[in-house]
Amino acid sequence: MSHLSPLSVPYRAAQRSVSIVFAVAFFVFSGGAAFGGFLGAFGGIILLGSLVLAIAGYELAYYQRFEYELTPDTFDIRSGVFGRRNREIPYRRIQNVDISRNVAQRLFGIAAVNLETAGGGETEGSLRFVSYDEALRIQTEVARLKRGETAGEATEPDREVLFELAPRELGIVGALSFDLRLPGLVFVFVTSAFPVASSYIDVPLPTSGVVATALGLGGLVLLVALVSWGAGFVRAVVNYYDFRLTRVGDELQYERGLLQRYNGSIPLDKLQTLTIEDNPLKRHFGFATLLIETAGYAPSGDSRNGSSVGRGSEAAIPLARRERVRSLVDDLEGVAEPTYERPPKRIRRRYAVRYSLALGAIALALFGANTLLDRAIPWYVPLALVPVAIVAGVYQWRHRGYGLTDDHVVTRNGFWKRETRFVPYYRIQTIIDTRTIFQRRWRVATVTADTAGSLSLVGGDAAAVDIGADDAVGLRETLNDRLRDALAERREERRRARQAALGVTVDAPDVSEPDDDEATEASTDDGVAETPTESAGSDDSYTESAGSDDSSTESPDTDDSSTESPDTDDSFVWGDAVETPDEENEAAVEDRSGTDSDDR
Amino acid sequence: MNRLHPRIRLLWVARAVVFALVVGGLTSAAVLFAPFSIPIYAPVVTGGFFLVTGVGFALLRYRAWRYELRDDSLYLQRGVFTKVNTVVPFVRIQHVDSARGPIERLAGLASTIVYTAGSRGADVSIPGLTPDGAEDLQERLKRLAIRAEGDDAV
Repeated sequence: MSHLSPLSVPYRAAQRSVSIVFAVAFFVFSGGAAFGGFLGAFGGIILLGSLVLAIAGYELAYYQRFEYELTPDTFDIRSGVFGRRNREIPYRRIQNVDISRNVAQRLFGIAAVNLETAGGGETEGSLRFVSYDEALRIQTEVARLKRGETAGEATEPDREVLFELAPRELGIVGALSFDLRLPGLVFVFVTSAFPVASSYIDVPLPTSGVVATALGLGGLVLLVALVSWGAGFVRAVVNYYDFRLTRVGDELQYERGLLQRYNGSIPLDKLQTLTIEDNPLKRHFGFATLLIETAGYAPSGDSRNGSSVGRGSEAAIPLARRERVRSLVDDLEGVAEPTYERPPKRIRRRYAVRYSLALGAIALALFGANTLLDRAIPWYVPLALVPVAIVAGVYQWRHRGYGLTDDHVVTRNGFWKRETRFVPYYRIQTIIDTRTIFQRRWRVATVTADTAGSLSLVGGDAAAVDIGADDAVGLRETLNDRLRDALAERREERRRARQAALGVTVDAPDVSEPDDDEATEASTDDGVAETPTESAGSDDSYTESAGSDDSSTESPDTDDSSTESPDTDDSFVWGDAVETPDEENEAAVEDRSGTDSDDR
Repeated sequence: MNRLHPRIRLLWVARAVVFALVVGGLTSAAVLFAPFSIPIYAPVVTGGFFLVTGVGFALLRYRAWRYELRDDSLYLQRGVFTKVNTVVPFVRIQHVDSARGPIERLAGLASTIVYTAGSRGADVSIPGLTPDGAEDLQERLKRLAIRAEGDDAV
C-alpha cells in the first residue's frame, strides 16, 4: 500500500482554497464592511481562517485515506474520505499512463498520474499527486507487470529515441500553426466593446466608398490572420517544447511541454490507427504530422488543449520530414504507403459541380442582398471563380483514395487537410458502406472502417470515399474476411507464444493459415466460394435444434402476415438464415482445448 | 436475407400519421391564433403533405430493410435516401440487448440492439422482430459472439 506524496496535501489545499477563499473573501469583505469597520473585517478573517483549516483538514484526510497498490495483476486504488471506493484496474486493460506537471507542481516535485482504459467517459485512475520519481516508477512498473514479469526480475527494456524535435523544427511547427480561438475572443470582445467605446470617442467610420470598406475588411482579415498565427505560434511552442518520442520495450513514451510537462506512455499493442496529416503548405516544404491513436481517451476530455496537430495528449509527432514520418510508420506498424486506388474519374465532375453550386449559392445570396439592401454589391464576383471550382474538383479527386496492404487498410482524404489513415485489419470494429441519393446517381459508395479509436469521434474514421459501387461491395467483404483472418492469425500466434513459454511442444495445429501475399481478389473469391458449401452442410443441423421453437412461436405471426407478402413465410424463419460453418466450429473447439491445456 | 416483421409497417405508418396530425393541429392553431391571415386550407395541406410523405417513407423504409446472419458477421442493409450497409463481425460484439418499448409491446414486436466498441456506439439495432424472434436472435448472436472468441475486442 502506497500513499500519495505528502506534498500533495499543501498543494491540493492551496489549489482548492484559492478559488473558494477568493469567492468568500469578496462576499465577506463587501458584506462585512457594511456591518461596520473593524468587527466585520475581523469576523471575516476568522471565517476565512476556519475555512482554510477545514479545507486543509479535508485534504489531510483525503491523503490519509487514499491508497494505491501495484498488485501482481491489478492496479488497486482505495480512496474517498466519506464515501469509499475500491477500484481494481487490470494491467492488461490499461491503455495509457500519463503524467503531467505544471509549473507549480514542478516546483513541488510532484506530478499527476492518469491511467486510461478503453471504457467510460472519464479517466479511470487518477493520482493527485505523487512525487515525480514515483510517477515514473508507476509508469514503468505498469508496463512491466503488464508483460507478466514479476517484481524480482527487473529487466530494463531497451530505450530507443525515435524522434526529437529540434528547436528549428519547433520554430517551423509554430510558423505553420494557426489558432483561430484567440481572434475569435478578440472579435467578440471588440464587437461588444466597440459601441461603448465609440460613444465616448468619435471613431471615424468609413461610411462611404467601396475602397474604404475593402481596405477595412482587408485590414481586419490581415489582423485576424496575424493574431491567429501569433497565438498558434505561442501555443505550439508551449505544447511541443522539447518534444521527444521514445520507444521503451513494447511501449512508446513521449515528453513535451514548456510550462506544463506531459509525459505519457502508449503500449504498442493498444495502438488503433496511425494518421499522417498535412496541408498544402506542409506538403510544399515536405513536412507531415503523425497522430497515434488509442482507445484510451475520453472523447472531449483532452481535445481542449490540442490543436490540429496535438489533439490532446495523444502522442503525435507535431512535425517532421515526410520521409521521417513514413519511416516511423514503417517502424511502428510495418506498413508503407500503398499505391492508392482513386475514385472513378467521373467523380471529378461531381466535385466540380458541387463547388460551382456552392459558388452559385453565394452569388444568389449576394444578389438577394443587392436587390434588398439597395446598395451596389458586386454579386457576380463569385461566378468568376467557377474555373477554380473545376480545378478544386480535380485536386480533391487526386488526393482521395484507398489502398490495401498486407495487414492494413489505408485511406486518404482531403486537400487542405489531407489525412492518411492506417488501420490494421484486426482493429476494425464494423464496416459500414453508405450511399447517399446523390452517390447512387454517380454509382459510387463510401466504405468506412470503424475502429475504437477516440479521434474517430471527432475526426471521422478511415473511409474510402466515393469509390465505385462494385468496388465498395468487394472492399466491404474483403475487409471482413481480412479482419477474420488477421484475428485468427493473432490468436494462433499468441497460443504458440504461450505454449512456447510453458515449454509445451508445439504440434503445429493446422488451422488454415491465411495467406497475406494473396491478391485481394483471390481471397475474396475463396471466401465467397466457401460459404455456400458450408451453409449447405450446416442448415440441417441448425434447423434441427431450433426448428421446434420456430414452428411453435412463429406460426401465429406468419399466419396473419401471409396475406400481405408471400415471401415473408420463407425468409422469416430464423433457422434458415443462419449458417454455421462446421470448420469454424471445430477450429473454435480445438482452440478452446488448446487454452485449457495452457491453463493447467 | 431476412426482412423485418411486416407489422413494423403498422408501427411506422402509425408514427407518421401521428406526426402528420400533430403538424396539422399546429397549423390549425396557427390559422386560428396568428395575427396575420393564413389560408383556411393550410392545415389540410401541411397535414396531408406530411401524411403522404411520412407514410410513403415508412413503407419504403420497410422495403429497404434487410438483415442477415452470415457465417462470421451480422449484415444489415437499410436506408431510403442514404443506403447503409453495415457488417458487424461477431468477434466484435460486446453485448446484445433485446428491447421492447411500450408501443412496440402494443404491436407485439421487439428489437435487438448490438453493441460494439466502435466509435459509432449503439448504431446497430434491428427493429421489427417478434418477441421470441428478438430473444432468439439475441441468444444466437450471443452464442456466435462467444464462439467467435475475440481477444480484447478493442
